[in-house]
Amino acid sequence: MSIRALDTAEPGLRDLTAPELGAQTARGRFWGKLRRSPSALVGLAILALYVGLALVGPLVAPFDPGHDVLRDQFLPASVHHFLGTDDLGRDEFLMILYGARYTLYLGFLAVGIGLIVGLPLGAASGYFGGWVDLLVQRLTDVLLSFPGILLALALVAGLGVGLRNVIIAVGVSSIPIFIRLVRASALSIRELPYVEAARALGVPNWLILLRHVIPNSLAPVIVQATLQLGAAILVAAGLGFLGLGVQKPTPEWGSMLGEARTYIFTDANLVTLPGLAIFGAVLAFNLVGDGLRDALDPRLK
Amino acid sequence: MLTYVARRVLVSIPTVFGVATVIFLMVRLLPGDPARVIAGVLATPEDVDRIRHQFGLDQPLYVQYVTYLFHLLTGDLGTSTRTGQPVTQEIVSRLPYTMELAVVSTVIAVVVGVTAGVIAATRRGSALDLAISALAVFGLSMPVYWLGLMLIILLAIDIHAFPAAGAQNPLGFVLPSITLALFSLALVARQSRSAMLEVLNQDFVRTARAKGAPLRTVLVKHALRNALLPVVTVIGLQFGALIGGAVLTETVFSWPGVGRLLVDSIFSRDYPVVQGVVLMLAVAFILVNLLVDLLYAYVDPRIRYS
Amino acid sequence: MAIRKFAFLVVLGLMAAACGNGSGNPTSSGPKHGGTLTVAIGIDPDTLDPAAQTTTTASQVVDMMVERLYTLDSNGATQPQLASAMPTTSSDGLTYTIPLRTGVKFSDGTPFNAAAAKAGLDRLLNPATFKTQPGVLSVIDTVTATDDKTLTVKLKSPFAPFVAALTQTNAAILSPASLTVNGNTPAQVKVPVGTGPYVMKDRVNGDHIAMTANKDYWGSQKPNYDTQVIKIVPDDPSREALIRSGGADVIVSPPLSDLPSLSSDSSLKVLKAKSDRTLQIIINTVDTNQPLLQKPEVRQALNYAVNKDEIVKNVMFGNATTLDAPMSKTLFGYCSVGTYAFDPSKAKQMLQAAGASGMTVKLGSPTGRYPQDIKVAQAVASYLHDVGVTVQGPETSDWPTYLGHVNVPPAQAAFDMHFLGWAPAYLDASQQFEQFRPDRIPPKGLETSYYANPTVTDLVTKAAAEVDQQKRKDEYCQASKQVWNDAPWIFLYNQSFPIVYSAKVTSVGAFPNEKFDTRFASPA
Repeated sequence: MSIRALDTAEPGLRDLTAPELGAQTARGRFWGKLRRSPSALVGLAILALYVGLALVGPLVAPFDPGHDVLRDQFLPASVHHFLGTDDLGRDEFLMILYGARYTLYLGFLAVGIGLIVGLPLGAASGYFGGWVDLLVQRLTDVLLSFPGILLALALVAGLGVGLRNVIIAVGVSSIPIFIRLVRASALSIRELPYVEAARALGVPNWLILLRHVIPNSLAPVIVQATLQLGAAILVAAGLGFLGLGVQKPTPEWGSMLGEARTYIFTDANLVTLPGLAIFGAVLAFNLVGDGLRDALDPRLK
Repeated sequence: MLTYVARRVLVSIPTVFGVATVIFLMVRLLPGDPARVIAGVLATPEDVDRIRHQFGLDQPLYVQYVTYLFHLLTGDLGTSTRTGQPVTQEIVSRLPYTMELAVVSTVIAVVVGVTAGVIAATRRGSALDLAISALAVFGLSMPVYWLGLMLIILLAIDIHAFPAAGAQNPLGFVLPSITLALFSLALVARQSRSAMLEVLNQDFVRTARAKGAPLRTVLVKHALRNALLPVVTVIGLQFGALIGGAVLTETVFSWPGVGRLLVDSIFSRDYPVVQGVVLMLAVAFILVNLLVDLLYAYVDPRIRYS
Repeated sequence: MAIRKFAFLVVLGLMAAACGNGSGNPTSSGPKHGGTLTVAIGIDPDTLDPAAQTTTTASQVVDMMVERLYTLDSNGATQPQLASAMPTTSSDGLTYTIPLRTGVKFSDGTPFNAAAAKAGLDRLLNPATFKTQPGVLSVIDTVTATDDKTLTVKLKSPFAPFVAALTQTNAAILSPASLTVNGNTPAQVKVPVGTGPYVMKDRVNGDHIAMTANKDYWGSQKPNYDTQVIKIVPDDPSREALIRSGGADVIVSPPLSDLPSLSSDSSLKVLKAKSDRTLQIIINTVDTNQPLLQKPEVRQALNYAVNKDEIVKNVMFGNATTLDAPMSKTLFGYCSVGTYAFDPSKAKQMLQAAGASGMTVKLGSPTGRYPQDIKVAQAVASYLHDVGVTVQGPETSDWPTYLGHVNVPPAQAAFDMHFLGWAPAYLDASQQFEQFRPDRIPPKGLETSYYANPTVTDLVTKAAAEVDQQKRKDEYCQASKQVWNDAPWIFLYNQSFPIVYSAKVTSVGAFPNEKFDTRFASPA
């Protein structure tokens, strides 16, 4: 416990490492609670809107936003251009629409990397202990020593800019938090009588990890993964804003915002809109994450 | 206690070493020839070669690594390839500006955040509680750079109330401080609210209230003091968010702190400065967390033996 | 207790911060003399050491404090500065005898003389000087102080634009006595001390550089403001916000899209200074990935396909002129050689005739290096798309990464076409032709079209040693025609260098190589 990751400082989360979730009734209670949580519902509604737009948008969109008509630059909102046009005469609404796909894609892949690497490492670290634990923990310490956006910033500076590298950079920086989370729950689970019994019966370690350790840590992992989606989108957009993220002409919201700074006097909408889109996406994941936590945390009944 | 302190400090050493190594490797992966960038497009090939040699960039990687570690042990972070000044001097000259923002932001975050959190907790379920909780989620979801730009549009461009850029004007720190504070403020507000709720539910507080002590006395005498410890932890932890936020905030407001120094150095491939700034910030973060851990252990002896 | 102490520290910190920020406020009104002029620029100078200068904006700051033997005037012509007249040249073009001004003193009181001038040039040539950038001045063999007021320079080989090259900031003359004080060493200068109208006062890296007037300035024009503060504000719209709110008196490079509204503001003046920078899409003329680009007629067709006037009007917001030669009009050796008028149907026909209809090309562009760079590249891609060319990209990245992709020998070329600017600092065609000489193909230079035409090479080689200026001009003109016809570039435009200043300021000028000039500005 040398350095706690920021998000685990949230109340309850740290004590949430080994909840008893498994019985059918518990699951029912969980959904019931989630349905009654206004924040989760609002979050889910926003998310549904984003996903819907990302999926349906390109099908009904009248033209490719990547193609520009210079004469139509900086048009105000109208029937033809729902949110007006940008500096190259492209439809701002379509740009934002296409951005939704990149943002969601980027967020899910990055958190996916965090999960795929973080879960097994954390489980092994907590379950085996010893030098495995020592090694993994030192690595986690190192990764957690980079405050905030710094690890992703340094990584993307090293790997170079672009969509793929941003996903890797943001993914890597969300690994340690999952390691910590799963390790803590593995530590407590390996001492449970039925796990000890399984071990005594000669059940192989990997099977114990797969059957008992990982499933038992899923609740906090799901909560954290949801919150992490918001954080990943925020960091990726921050990189884009600095010019170190996804590059033009890809309509990624962060880089759209960064590029539009030049036009802050000419057409402030070009600054306002992409930022609003980022804000909405992050807010949605945070609200859903909060709702999930409330539903899963037995203490805040 | 002393053994615990010694153990915790010792554990930090390999972490710092690991951080230093990771930074060295990451920075060396940067694409683009730094010598060419330093020399500019009109430089002759001889100019470029001379510059490459002056900075030791023509040496094999392991030689550069050993030199780097060796210098690090003597506290030497190297020389900026951009300005030719020692990296420590570059950082030290920018540090006060970042500190200024960080301190002002932390004060805003703590004062406003704790107040809001306590109010929300004591009126749990009220409209005010709901509003504060909602605002806190908004704060956690707000991209700092966007918030900064919105403040510039509203307060600097539209009504000229504050300068949009730079540290020279005495009012220049207002907008960046508010921008930087928001995330931490939201975090502190949420943390104080739940810590306060927890304490208010505990027996001794209930007893005190049952005995007829006025709410204000109960709050100040019992609840707040007990709720403060987790809040202190958050203040330590939000330091990380603050540093990350500073990189973006300083860029938005043309603020001459270490965050902007880092971004500028990445863009000009100033290896030594990128290394130095990232290392300095990471070590500061490690130290802050070490302090928080020790503080915790001091207050709660059980931790020392776990 | 601990909290109280913390609060106390915070208050202390705030007070210190407030005090630290209290100085240097701009006063934009006052008498014809006196007061402070605040200038906001976008680049934080790496160093103020003249020998290590690479950007024009930073160079101009140095030029306010340190002068050279020769200087450019606002039309780009070479004039004596610390020299008293143009030099005499030996018939073999190898020896230059430079007469020097007398009675001039450096701002630290040291007299300016031939020994100081020699020391300045020697320092530039000395490889021990930190990050020194002699560039073309490496052609100097020896520098001799013949007597107190005469300098003799011997060259290794004839170099016709030598005097023009001496106008660059790297050839500035520092006070020899200043090299060992104020943290300066002979190898590295932090506080430049010269003969200029302003003297360095203080500097906060990343924030500002302050200078005070040199009361004993030798020139006929005198510095009028007591103090000039150069503010570093990297963000274009932030600089605009500063001048609109009165936080700065002069700014360079505002957002181009706002120039119309800035021009209509009666409290502001806009100066669209000439620039030496050409912007172009460089075509890989030896491309093996897309061999069709090896054909001149294909490259010409691409020139017809792009509507440069529209790009100038809508993407550059009128702050550029369409190229009619492979160099800007401000250069010695310029002559107008033609146009590729926008004609998409002709372009389509030419492409079809060459079997290049529907060809695929990969386009690269930097982001943030030139005004509107990636936007221009996107517009070009769109025009090429309209004539049936499939454009991959524009792929873009920040400048150093991009330069790394572009600055490679032909075998490693990453793009079929790429966006690049070129700015010949001392306004001579020889510098522009660095872009068309096969001996400058990377790694020996930055000729990234890999273009080679023996006719052009011969003309350029001859012109470099030509003593007769009219003949030199003709040779560059002829070479330009050939280059234009071979079309190794999609020739786009010559940008301008906009400067915005308060109506309360007068005599703000500029040089045609993207340097602003506030040395003799005064309150209006």
